[in-house]
Amino acid sequence: MKKKISLLIALTIYFLFYVFVALRFNSGKLEFESFWLFRNVIFEGWINTISISLVAIVLSLFVGLILYAMHESRFNVLKYLAEIHKTIIFGTPLLVLAIIAFYYIGFAFNVNSEFIVGSITLALYIGAYIADIYKGAIESIHINQWQSAKMFGFTKYQTYRYIIFPQVIKSILPPLAGQFALTIKGSALLAYMSMNELLNAVTNVQANSFRYTEGFIIMTVGYWIITVPLITFVRKLENKSNYRM
Amino acid sequence: MKISIENLTKKYQDKIILDQLTLNIPDHKIIAFLGPSGSGKSTLLRLIAGLETFESGKIQLNDHIINESTKNLESYRKEIGFVFQDHNLFDHLTVFENISLVLEKVHHLSKNNYEPMVIQKLKDFNLFEHKDKYPHQLSGGQAQRVSIVRALSIQPRLILLDEPTSSLDPILTYDVLNAVIRLATDSKDFIIVTHEIGFAKKIANYIVYMEDGKIVEHGPKSILEDPKTESFKNFLSKVLPFHQ
Repeated sequence: MKKKISLLIALTIYFLFYVFVALRFNSGKLEFESFWLFRNVIFEGWINTISISLVAIVLSLFVGLILYAMHESRFNVLKYLAEIHKTIIFGTPLLVLAIIAFYYIGFAFNVNSEFIVGSITLALYIGAYIADIYKGAIESIHINQWQSAKMFGFTKYQTYRYIIFPQVIKSILPPLAGQFALTIKGSALLAYMSMNELLNAVTNVQANSFRYTEGFIIMTVGYWIITVPLITFVRKLENKSNYRM
Repeated sequence: MKISIENLTKKYQDKIILDQLTLNIPDHKIIAFLGPSGSGKSTLLRLIAGLETFESGKIQLNDHIINESTKNLESYRKEIGFVFQDHNLFDHLTVFENISLVLEKVHHLSKNNYEPMVIQKLKDFNLFEHKDKYPHQLSGGQAQRVSIVRALSIQPRLILLDEPTSSLDPILTYDVLNAVIRLATDSKDFIIVTHEIGFAKKIANYIVYMEDGKIVEHGPKSILEDPKTESFKNFLSKVLPFHQ
């Protein structure tokens, strides 16, 4: 009960802060009518944001795995390919990558679907970070676990499947949740590919109605409806996978 | 079990750990390797286990030969039970699962096949009531005993123990050594690397004393009473007073 009251107080503090900021700008009047008029467009954008993020998240888990495997490979070419990819990704803003990916790389390969280029770009971007999450978690497994596995005759696949993976899952979930949220938020930048996702849909209505504050409120809430349940879900998984509790 | 080692050399980077080692041990059930830290005895045990490769030489265990060009040691290792210094149990599995995973995935046994045997062994080693605990819920001695049961349950032809008590306090050490004695009565062949001379004296049939990557002295356990070399005498005189 005490915890709930504390949560309520914390939420109120944030709410008051945002109300204060919003009122300073809008002299107290919020007008959502024009957004209601275009609710189908906005909803469609919101659904696009969800679907592109979902595809990108699933892809990025594999991209991360492939980059990690390349990094651990005996072949130096693969190792360097992975290393260079990560360096480019870590060093370039997602916005710049999105524009280059769509207007240059997509064009060069005759791919003009914003959805395909967008989800692949996001997956390659987030995957680079996920590869490092895998790497850190796997390296944190004590050497004696590998030794035991080797001694008892587990194959490499079995070692990862039955011994390493169940142990890393609890330590990769929290950073993965962060990356998933980043993917969803990052999808906003795909608006620059003129992709019709949430940010683009709302911006269009804003431009027509001049109702900017309301637009940003809708946008924020729209993203929260996706990210907050996701983060909560991953936290639940995290507790479930914790064999030390 | 007969062991024959010829000109065995093992290096880590440029450091020579085992130097042209040669050793012939006629048929003995329980062999103890003694020696100060850094003498190479644990390394030798790991080479016998097929856990690591070596630069040159040959190891022969009964009729199985390992040499420096042997690449695939997987099937060989499956027949050897190994007890590590720090139990090395799988952290995310319960006591029972630690044993069953190996039997199921590596030895392809069905639960009906191994369950009665595993339960019996856990009872023999006073571990049955702990079967659903995770390693971090066990004492060091209990964990090490689980590790012994795990090594035993694969029905190995040989069990290797690498200083199984070195990270335990005296009471837990007693606990584990008793479990090892039970192993001996279980008529398994085993090799133990240990600091516990009194213990080696009690159970081993054959003693090998090593220093600086070389074998200094070896023979039936009577050599503990009558060491020939100065260094072995010296080692025993430093360690024995605390064990009597």
